[in-house]
Amino acid sequence: MFRTIITLGAIGFATTGAWATEIGGNVASKCSVFTANAGVYGTPTADELSTKTADGGIDAKVRYDVTLANAYKAKIGWPTSFTTSPTLTDAVNWDGETSYSSGTVTAMSGYEAAKTEYNEYTEFALTQAGSTWFTIESEVKYGTSKAFPGGEYKAMVTAICVAN
Amino acid sequence: MWKSFMAAVLLTSSAAAHELTPTYPEFKPHIVDGVYYAKLHMWNRREDVKYYEISVHDIEWNKIPFHSSKKIMKLEHLEHVDFEVNIRKSDLDRIEFICTTSKHLKSDTIGTGVRSRICSRIK
Repeated sequence: MFRTIITLGAIGFATTGAWATEIGGNVASKCSVFTANAGVYGTPTADELSTKTADGGIDAKVRYDVTLANAYKAKIGWPTSFTTSPTLTDAVNWDGETSYSSGTVTAMSGYEAAKTEYNEYTEFALTQAGSTWFTIESEVKYGTSKAFPGGEYKAMVTAICVAN
Repeated sequence: MWKSFMAAVLLTSSAAAHELTPTYPEFKPHIVDGVYYAKLHMWNRREDVKYYEISVHDIEWNKIPFHSSKKIMKLEHLEHVDFEVNIRKSDLDRIEFICTTSKHLKSDTIGTGVRSRICSRIK
């Protein structure tokens, strides 16, 4: 009887030892900015570059993940200059639109109506915890109906996450 | 339905991300007199970016001088880094944001690239 108790005790101790390995971690307030789609320019006409699907392009898409509601705001800017292009001798006119695309919480659909726009930037208050996708359209026109010279064109979308 | 949704979320999660924590770092007195420091952590989940620039700003987004071991950090994909930002005591009341911004090599961008910036706030 005594031996059985000792044996069971030893097994219990050994098993407890095996269970003692733990995985640590904590959930802290944070914001992550993901590039869901980098975006591609289409050329609907010789003097225009556009990321709109109807113009043969692909809109850029970014995802913001926040773990705490009301802790961050998203500030997204469409491009206002090329990072790579052939030499351009005439004026380049930039336009764009940033809009809420989808989210993991139903209440996020209110982000679109509550957004603030100024210059090339659009601000969204991230009032819900979870993931939100935003779509960025970019359109570029060259001179007065002047054809863009042939070559490679690249531009940058700016996705900022600022703590409140 | 739920499985498909989760699969979609996981597939999208493999996209590139940029993280900076904590959200609200605190400045503490340094052993060097007149200097304060804050500790931050960055995780580069962007496969297309290897360089990040640190910057410190006031409420009007004016740049404030600071010291860090590197102002532009090189981080491989999925690499973590802890870094310190050192500032003068006289700037302590002005500092509002500490940010990291992705820096892109021309050769790495296709079409429209995404420049990401995350800013922690001093409270």
